[in-house]
Amino acid sequence: MNPKERNEMSDDRQVLIEIKNITLNFGTVKALSDVSVNFYEGELVGLVGDNGAGKTTLIRILSGMYAPSAGEVYFDGQRITRFHPKLAIDLGIETIQQMVGLCDNLSVARNYYLGREPIKRLLGVIPVLDFAKMREASNKVVRNFGLRDTVNVDDEMALLSGGEGQAFKIGRAVDFRNRVIIMDEPTNHLSVRERAHVNELALQLRDQGLLVIYITHDIFQVHRLADRIIILENGRKVIDTPKDKMSAEALEQIIRDGSREVSKG
Amino acid sequence: MAAMTRFFKRTEATIIIGTVLLFVIFAIVDTKGWFGFFTIRNITRFTAVLGLVAIGETLLILIREIDLSVGSVYGLVAITFISLEPALGVYLSFVVALLLAAAIGLLNALLVLRGRLSSMIVTLGGLFFYRGVIYVTTSGAVRSFAKETTQQWFVQLFGGNWLFRLENGLGWFLLTVIIFTYILFRTRYGNHLLAIGGDTLSAASRGVPVEAVKTIAFVLCSVLAGFAGIMTVADLPSTNVTIGTDVELEAIAAAVIGGVLLTGGRGSIIGAALGTYFLTAVRSELITLGAPPVWYISFVGFVLVFAAVVNISIQRRLAGAQTL
Repeated sequence: MNPKERNEMSDDRQVLIEIKNITLNFGTVKALSDVSVNFYEGELVGLVGDNGAGKTTLIRILSGMYAPSAGEVYFDGQRITRFHPKLAIDLGIETIQQMVGLCDNLSVARNYYLGREPIKRLLGVIPVLDFAKMREASNKVVRNFGLRDTVNVDDEMALLSGGEGQAFKIGRAVDFRNRVIIMDEPTNHLSVRERAHVNELALQLRDQGLLVIYITHDIFQVHRLADRIIILENGRKVIDTPKDKMSAEALEQIIRDGSREVSKG
Repeated sequence: MAAMTRFFKRTEATIIIGTVLLFVIFAIVDTKGWFGFFTIRNITRFTAVLGLVAIGETLLILIREIDLSVGSVYGLVAITFISLEPALGVYLSFVVALLLAAAIGLLNALLVLRGRLSSMIVTLGGLFFYRGVIYVTTSGAVRSFAKETTQQWFVQLFGGNWLFRLENGLGWFLLTVIIFTYILFRTRYGNHLLAIGGDTLSAASRGVPVEAVKTIAFVLCSVLAGFAGIMTVADLPSTNVTIGTDVELEAIAAAVIGGVLLTGGRGSIIGAALGTYFLTAVRSELITLGAPPVWYISFVGFVLVFAAVVNISIQRRLAGAQTL
């Protein structure tokens, strides 16, 4: 694709999520103040910032765990008024967090459909979990997303490695035909090979037309992947730039300067 | 080998082996008495009552909550059933008594979930409060059913001996074991219970309605305790103010001995049921064999800790190289 095509495309890109002047207070602490961002379909956005910058708070609003104190959120043109994880999932917004999303004590198959378990009726009346369907769908993801061949979908989740867990969550998100995948520090604690695998999956999702929001504090890693970089600092948006306009080094300098200002103040 | 590993991975592995051992030992030590009708009837009768409470407690332990008020609720519901019967008749009084149990469970859930209090504190309060209510409302007097009432089919349904001369309570208990095993492992609700117990945040992030699932568990626990109380007075139709004292502790002990982990997310209904049988059988046999009945209490304590140690060491060994 030549640059011209790309530009034309970006002109009529669909705004999928529009965030307008969002503020979120926890008591007297301003976790986010007056943040506005547009997210488009088919882009990979790197959301960067130091600890406490407000990255996690922002995505928790998108995933329905927090409601903003002020401001507006639109999804696909519709104003969002109620915030709940279930509603976000129903809209097709999936958040992939390192430590969250899988229950170690449940089997791989049970984890797959957790929260939307398929049901069949015994004798036409008694509802029971449809284990055949759960096994089949989860097995497909286990085989297609680079987990070990020895992984059995009846095994407990605890037997999977960190990278396998991440790959499984991504596979699950793709299989459920999501439109937005939010990845929160998706490669922490992963081996080099697993990290490359997860990043490769993130690019594949983008190429399939999904909006991928990639949160990290490793600017160099996300600069290689992302189409656009957003930097949050102290609950405010300080940078929102196409990545080809700024180098990773320049961006890192901004994050560093920001922190210095904070420690001075 | 794989089948063996799979068996020991089950949380109820220890209690299955324990129960088999217990059965064999008592069969050898007390051959005649152990297989005698009265022994079997006694053990099954008390297993049924305590087992219902233990199943309810299991649901809460699985989601890392606890209900210490079940003993008092058991007593209060039993006394309500008896006390309201002359005025309301047996059917309505049965319904009202169970509704009372449900209301108590709902109140527990409300205080824990909306009030953000620990279930340990809320239900410890309930333990004292409902026991106090029993003292106040009965003025310490014994309440009994009239003789005719005990003969009504509806009371007999819960307290009669229609099952090969065994208590009907045993039937209700076994039915409850089957229903709740199905609920826990074969339904959406059960999957949500296990998920919340394993990792509440992850469950919530998948859209599991955590508050609703927990509320239902609190209500079920209270109702099962109340139902156990009703079964008891249908069988032995008089109550005194101490009815149900210590039942909460025995029920928790039975569940833990049955392999239900207090850390949540792991355990089974069958385990809790076998744990109850184990405790009840030991109590009955200690008395039969002439040991002072007070020993039973120490024995419960010993078995409880022993079972916990065995369970943990099995889990650790199976975890193998995993250090966490």
